[in-house]
Amino acid sequence: MKTTMVTEELIVNMGPQHPSTHGVLYLELKLNGEIITDCRPHIGYLHRSIEKIAENRSLVQFVPFTDRLDYLASMNDNLGFCLAAEKLLQLEAPARAQYLRVIVAELNRIASHLLAISTFAQDLGAYATPLFFAMRDRQKVVQIFDELCGQRLTYNYIRIGGVAGDLTPDIARTINEFVLYFRKMINDYDDLLTHNIIFKVRSKGIGIISKEFALDYAVTGPSLRASGVKWDVRKDEPYLVYDKFDFDVPVGANGDAWDRYSVRIQEMRESLRIIEQAMGAIPEGDPVAKVNKVFRPSGEVYMRTESPRGDLGFYIVGTGDVFPYRLKIRTPSFSNIAALPALIKGLNVSDAVCALGSLDIVMGEIDR
Amino acid sequence: MFKLFVDIWQGIVSIFKGFVVTGRSMFRKPVTIQYPLQKAAMTQRFRGMADLRVEKCISCLQCVRICPTAALDLTSVTNPETKKKALESFCFNAELCCFCGLCQDVCPTKAIFLNALYEVAYYKRSDVTAIDLMAPDKYAHVGVLAAGKGKP
Ligand code: SF4
Ligand code: SF4
Repeated sequence: MKTTMVTEELIVNMGPQHPSTHGVLYLELKLNGEIITDCRPHIGYLHRSIEKIAENRSLVQFVPFTDRLDYLASMNDNLGFCLAAEKLLQLEAPARAQYLRVIVAELNRIASHLLAISTFAQDLGAYATPLFFAMRDRQKVVQIFDELCGQRLTYNYIRIGGVAGDLTPDIARTINEFVLYFRKMINDYDDLLTHNIIFKVRSKGIGIISKEFALDYAVTGPSLRASGVKWDVRKDEPYLVYDKFDFDVPVGANGDAWDRYSVRIQEMRESLRIIEQAMGAIPEGDPVAKVNKVFRPSGEVYMRTESPRGDLGFYIVGTGDVFPYRLKIRTPSFSNIAALPALIKGLNVSDAVCALGSLDIVMGEIDR
Repeated sequence: MFKLFVDIWQGIVSIFKGFVVTGRSMFRKPVTIQYPLQKAAMTQRFRGMADLRVEKCISCLQCVRICPTAALDLTSVTNPETKKKALESFCFNAELCCFCGLCQDVCPTKAIFLNALYEVAYYKRSDVTAIDLMAPDKYAHVGVLAAGKGKP
């Protein structure tokens, strides 16, 4: 016998101070019992008007601000902006700088994915262990960046026309050691999470993004690839020297939370492959950029790169002045979170946390 | 029915594997350090507080112009005979600084640099917003000098 008890709809505010919303995201959930019938994400708590600031900074000065967009993968934001600026100014970085950029971008992808999978596991109840393991390994990456550029979070390492500091033999050795170390370590994550039955059952079939849905909502990055769309800017519109490396683009089958997790694990393996090849082939030269140049950008340009969260684009309009006329940043988290309301409709609250965690959003990038 | 038992068995094995991974870390060397008692060594290129080698500065203002947050401010006087500029004051606002390192990279004489100080604490806000870089003992009582850094 089936009885349906009609209860009053309840509005629950989840966030902005909530451990599972990964920053200051505020979700207004309409609940029917445990089931979510509607969801409205409220964003803007971390708004720092970075796009407006760009209109009052020269291109060189703006690079430190891109660090503050996606603070878990600052190198990739540095890279995206510098590539856009270089495209506008018709510059090209020296070959050694291009290889160094690939290496740091991929290292940062690993660090970012580590945090993504571990906080996702934490949302599902694997409270401390995966997070501490990920922090331990992320620390090794961050230490490499610290030696390269002197900061652990806001690097300002990739500059227009090159990078801030050269690779020393010591740092090169540390990177090579890290690659060997981390290749073994991923197996630990597999044992800890990938093969764990609770984790699997808990995340399979949750928050399914179908292929069409992903394309309609412009979901990008690992979340798109988990739905089976083989789209990676590094492969399909190669920038830097990515076309010289041999790597695969992992795709998922169902587009559920589990697939998004497993795509990230596989991407870390691919990143290691890229780093290894780049370290082997890095040419000699002087990659250090001069910062005392005055650029007067004119014209407009759009450049996109593959950040750990997806398709990161910078659109710069210059009118021949030192300051750009307008800068627009297309951030992957912003379009990924747009898919959230449709994604979690009909789930219960604990599964919504799972779907949100698997999208891997960074609020600094959404609000910017 | 048989599948159920297989599932249960696989579940137990998978959880046991996780325990093995966790258990193994009991025999590893800890990666953490006992922070307030033990200080981590900072790296060679560590970017701490802005500092100045006063005798090297030629008052070219390049650092002031490139600073994205306008944290630096200097005034200079020009000697009417030799046409040489001499520093009069050099003020650093640590509250605005984002430790980007652009000033030390742009300086033609390597006069301004980011030193090895970290863990900097002040009693008064006004002390942070106007640090006189020309005073030799400006950082005498604040912060911890990073052990590993080779910069003077
Ligand atoms: S480090 Fe950056 S923000 Fe700080 S004073 Fe130098 S240029 Fe300005
Ligand atoms: S760039 Fe160097 S020399 Fe020029 S004013 Fe600044 S500190 Fe002095």
